[in-house]
Amino acid sequence: MYLKKRTPLFWIWLLLLTLIFTGCSSDNGDSGEKGKDVTETPAAAAAHPRYKAPYTQSGPPEDIKWLTNNNDPVYASPSTQRGGELRLSITSYPMTFRVVGPDSNGSFRSAILGNQLGLVTVHPNTENIIPELATHWAYGRDNKTMYFKLNPKARWSDGMPVTAHDFAYTLQFMRSKHIVAPWYNDYYTNEIDKVIVYDDHTLAVVSTKAQPDLHLKLALRPVPSHFYGELGEDFVHKFNWKIPPNTGPYKITDFKKGKFVKFSRKKDWWARDLRYFKNRFNVDTVAYILVRDFNMLWEYFKKGRMDVFPLTIPEYWHVKTKTPVVEKGYVRKIWFFNDTQQSASGMWLNQDKPIFKDSNVRYAFAHAMNIQKVINTVLRGDYFRLEQAFMGYGDYTNQSIKARRFDLDKVNMYMTDAGWQRGPDGIWQKNDMRFSVDVTYGFDAHTPRLVVLKEEARKAGIELNLRKMDASAAFKQILEKKHDVAWMGWSTSLRPQYWEHFHSDNAHKPQTNNITNTDDTKMDRLIEAYRNSLDEAERKNLSRQIQARIHEIGCFVPTFMVPYVRQACWRWWQLPEPPGTRHTKDLFEPFDSATGGLFWFDQTLHKETQDAMEDDVAFKPKTIIDKTYFR
Amino acid sequence: MEISPLTAKKIKRFRSVRRGYWSLVIFCCLILLSLGAELLINNRAIVVSYNGEIYFPTYGNIIAGTTFGFDYRHEANYRDLARRIKNNDAGNWIIMPPVPYNPYENDFSQDSYPPTAPSMAKKHYLGTDTSGRDVLARLMYGFRIAVFFSLALLAVNYVIGVAIGSAMGYWGGRFDLFFQRIIEIWHNIPFLYVIIIVSSIMVPSFAMLLGIMAFFGWISLTWIMRTVTYKEKARDYTLAARSLGATDARIIFSHILPNTVSIIVTFAPFSVAEGIIALTSLDYLGFGLTPPTPSWGELLQQGWANMQAWWIAGSVVAAMVLTLAMVTFTGEAVREAFDPKMHTVYE
Repeated sequence: MYLKKRTPLFWIWLLLLTLIFTGCSSDNGDSGEKGKDVTETPAAAAAHPRYKAPYTQSGPPEDIKWLTNNNDPVYASPSTQRGGELRLSITSYPMTFRVVGPDSNGSFRSAILGNQLGLVTVHPNTENIIPELATHWAYGRDNKTMYFKLNPKARWSDGMPVTAHDFAYTLQFMRSKHIVAPWYNDYYTNEIDKVIVYDDHTLAVVSTKAQPDLHLKLALRPVPSHFYGELGEDFVHKFNWKIPPNTGPYKITDFKKGKFVKFSRKKDWWARDLRYFKNRFNVDTVAYILVRDFNMLWEYFKKGRMDVFPLTIPEYWHVKTKTPVVEKGYVRKIWFFNDTQQSASGMWLNQDKPIFKDSNVRYAFAHAMNIQKVINTVLRGDYFRLEQAFMGYGDYTNQSIKARRFDLDKVNMYMTDAGWQRGPDGIWQKNDMRFSVDVTYGFDAHTPRLVVLKEEARKAGIELNLRKMDASAAFKQILEKKHDVAWMGWSTSLRPQYWEHFHSDNAHKPQTNNITNTDDTKMDRLIEAYRNSLDEAERKNLSRQIQARIHEIGCFVPTFMVPYVRQACWRWWQLPEPPGTRHTKDLFEPFDSATGGLFWFDQTLHKETQDAMEDDVAFKPKTIIDKTYFR
Repeated sequence: MEISPLTAKKIKRFRSVRRGYWSLVIFCCLILLSLGAELLINNRAIVVSYNGEIYFPTYGNIIAGTTFGFDYRHEANYRDLARRIKNNDAGNWIIMPPVPYNPYENDFSQDSYPPTAPSMAKKHYLGTDTSGRDVLARLMYGFRIAVFFSLALLAVNYVIGVAIGSAMGYWGGRFDLFFQRIIEIWHNIPFLYVIIIVSSIMVPSFAMLLGIMAFFGWISLTWIMRTVTYKEKARDYTLAARSLGATDARIIFSHILPNTVSIIVTFAPFSVAEGIIALTSLDYLGFGLTPPTPSWGELLQQGWANMQAWWIAGSVVAAMVLTLAMVTFTGEAVREAFDPKMHTVYE
């Protein structure tokens, strides 16, 4: 008889349990297996003979022009100090230390790849090529080949020199079936044609097709052949937690699964005195500590168990930082405006749905979205209006495009032109169609923004039905083109990519990125011209025309952009002047070879702050707002 | 309808348990109140008299702003209208609900960001939530949804549970064995995971959520009904009915069911509480009804994430404790009233 009575209790219990779990899941990590054998002995490292590619007898062509770059401005501070430990957080523990193969595409991958230098990279302020493993480079006449001269000082972390053979091995490695990475197999077969070895320090990398910005594609990262040797069936399993030698400033020296990963600076890193690396990568160790819950991370940070905390979310910047450690000046806030590619985030209208076939209706929809109100209220005026899908791409961006603003008169005009009428409930109607559309989205955090849009859209006679789904389920529905309106953003690349999003080749079929089903002849012509052009000026011009056409079609309602980073750090962390680069997305990124490692740990300030905290002496609170790169 | 002396005795007994009786009365009043929530908590006026015409905007289609002399064609803002009428419009009058906000609209005041603390002046008696929506409005409309959800769930579960349970008990044999195995298998399906999976791949509507919950909810009552029917079936009165040639249906519905009603009734209030908690839990976890549907679970989630806004967590926790306490008190009183020991005299 009393069996039934237990059930409500069960629900309460479940509720409590969830509260507890979300509250302190970080203490509940995996059993924590201690990493073994993390310091490689030279004997172990040399377990395999080094791969030797056949030399090409004739040297590189005589008529090529060797280039280098030692003139661009340096962006590290000249007055840095070495030492200290930076403690950063990760929200989930990496599933593997491999960078290819199953489960390797997690967010931690960038920390590992940051310590694997490429041949050359791009200066984060000027966007010119700067040296990394190569000191010189040259372009072939065929627009397909680049030649490189390696820095003879370049060393793997086990002391082995980096040679041209390692790049030849990269191709062999990436094409191997044993790495279980179809995308890489394909890319290194169908995009990268071959690596030619002239001598130990001279090589050429050849693309399968002529294209602009070759250096972005051909600046390979080498793979250490003496570490991997001949790959076998067991690759995925065998190298899950192995730490391969790398070429960057840090290497993993300790880890405990489910707890932390620790990187240490190499004592005598070969590149530490190179022009663009000097005075960077200053801390001795970088620890990534697992904290699963964001609220908990904030508590840890306030207790001094973390060094840095992201403050992009308006509520944290404005409200939650009104807390003693900030008000007493032990922690400072930094608001740094960058000038980098912005995610194309907004509302993507599916033009295969009958309602959005009419451009007037699409324009009306755009004018019915009160984005500015969301920015002013929910986002506290901290976000910026995204004017179009491709902001922050330099000359590739058409600055004259302005997003359609909330305007009830224009909604009326476009809808009336399209032959619609207001129904008795205030919503537009035409025959059996009613202007009621589903908005598919994947994050609970976006609900407050959407409820404001929904209420405002009602005034304009449009009904939005919010369809919150699990993030991956939402993305799946969108890729299958089953949505009316997709609320999402795309990741960025150095140059705008149009073909995947707006070319008719990708319209009307599932699993492509053309989620608006844009099928427009003029657009196709422009995109094809853009893809085939090798002339930079022409490409920039075409890019701006394509953006104008996207605006004309009106299938994308741009929403917000965040052209800055906001972070909190303890007082003893120092940054150069200005604190970051044009392309900095994280001021405390420790490894990235272009933008990372600019900060340093100030011993004196550390001691001063610690003493002050002990004696409860307050400093003047400090907030740094830097608009050097603000447009 | 004639009330049998036994039933009358039970009712009397129930009424004598004051705590349970009054809980039921208040709970029923709250349900009635929530049915008329549009008249109490709404941004639409109850009555407007404008330029000689009388309007009742509460139910039905929207009235465009132009009707009341505004310069827009979307729905009139009655709070603005009330303010205007109060200031100058002679001859016109308006009656607004006590809480002039609906549960969906975002009230962003000029000087601060939501959530805002309770304010008598702004008529946000329990403050606003993180999107600037009135907490009292969301509590009330959320209550209505939760209660009717659990009542509907109760009805569905009982119809299925009673039907299958008494059939199992009455017929016994293979039919009973077959359903026993089915129930055992059913029981081992992790119900919460199923809901989470289903609602992450599609957006659950009220009916769908009800369907899924009922899909798993009928089991426990079936089990009990089966046992009770077995017991009643062996009684002499059932045998007598059968020997008089009554059909199975007649025996079940006219003889056995009335004698098991005390068990069904005793469990009902607890099932209501269970339904409310189930819906709240799912909403809390983000797998319940779609936003922006007013819901206690969503408020609870907001309250947890914004502890400094004590009025959110405070209101919803208080509301839940009160509701569940009332339902449980009612349940206890019903159980006491139906307790067979009270009606049997041992000699």
